[in-house]
Amino acid sequence: MRRADSKDKPSVYQRVVLKNASPYHYMKICLVLEDESTKLSAVDLKQFIISGLNNLYGEVGAALNFDLLKYDEDALTALLRVYSSGLVKLWSSLTLLGSYQNQTCAFRVLQVSRRHITRCPLCLSSEDTEDSPSHLWI
Amino acid sequence: MVRVKSRYLLCEVHVTDRSRLLLLDDRAVALAVKAAVARTHGDYGAALCSIRFSVKYLNAHTGIVFLRFPKRCYKLLWSALPFITCIETRGQKIPCFLNCLHVGGTIRTCQKFLIRYNTQQLHRMLPKCKNEEEKQEVQKAILNCTLTRGNQEAFEDEFESDEEDEEE
Repeated sequence: MRRADSKDKPSVYQRVVLKNASPYHYMKICLVLEDESTKLSAVDLKQFIISGLNNLYGEVGAALNFDLLKYDEDALTALLRVYSSGLVKLWSSLTLLGSYQNQTCAFRVLQVSRRHITRCPLCLSSEDTEDSPSHLWI
Repeated sequence: MVRVKSRYLLCEVHVTDRSRLLLLDDRAVALAVKAAVARTHGDYGAALCSIRFSVKYLNAHTGIVFLRFPKRCYKLLWSALPFITCIETRGQKIPCFLNCLHVGGTIRTCQKFLIRYNTQQLHRMLPKCKNEEEKQEVQKAILNCTLTRGNQEAFEDEFESDEEDEEE
């Protein structure tokens, strides 16, 4: 998961073995809306995801613990942290979310990792570290 | 040989007014279970509940229900049962809750358990009889209980007349 895919070299398969791995999975997602001028705050996004969980998995699913660590309002890109046991539920409900306020939408899952994504090449802004104050923690 | 496996939940319907138990029918119970599952587990639960879920048996007199769930997901569906607070039947809402007594792999094991359970209950209740006469009466009534065809029809007639009383 390091910068293995630099321009001159083709991407290399790399096996990462984690000892004492954290219980979390990190997901980087992007929301694609039909009307691109729609503004969505971080709270709106979390509420939207929870409503999707509520639809697919009911009240038990809506009680799933996940955090919105980072959110870029212009690009509609977000970083979610979820316990590994809830990853499948969260991911499937994101997939089945099809409309936001009567306009079609879709979630693109850009990256899923067991390690914090800020240390990975595709992160929102690579300077941020895990404990930087710019985190939202919703 | 391989067979499709299910789990049978033997549940007891608790109501405050026991005479209203007679209003229950299996479709109403099935609807209540499906609604509770849909509320607690959403579309996913509702879909699981639509495969091979059925109310196998309902005794409106004692409030005993057999529910059949697929073995693969019976725990998930079971977890929704405590959220049933009322069953709607014939335009009436009966406040109740389901108490699960036994989980079995076949109807036969559930029936065996039910017979044993009822015997236990009887032994618990018999000492509460006020006098010997009452005790004798109960014992006689039990001995008279045989399921022959003729008897059953008489029983059904009685059941129908009971219902009419309720409607009046």
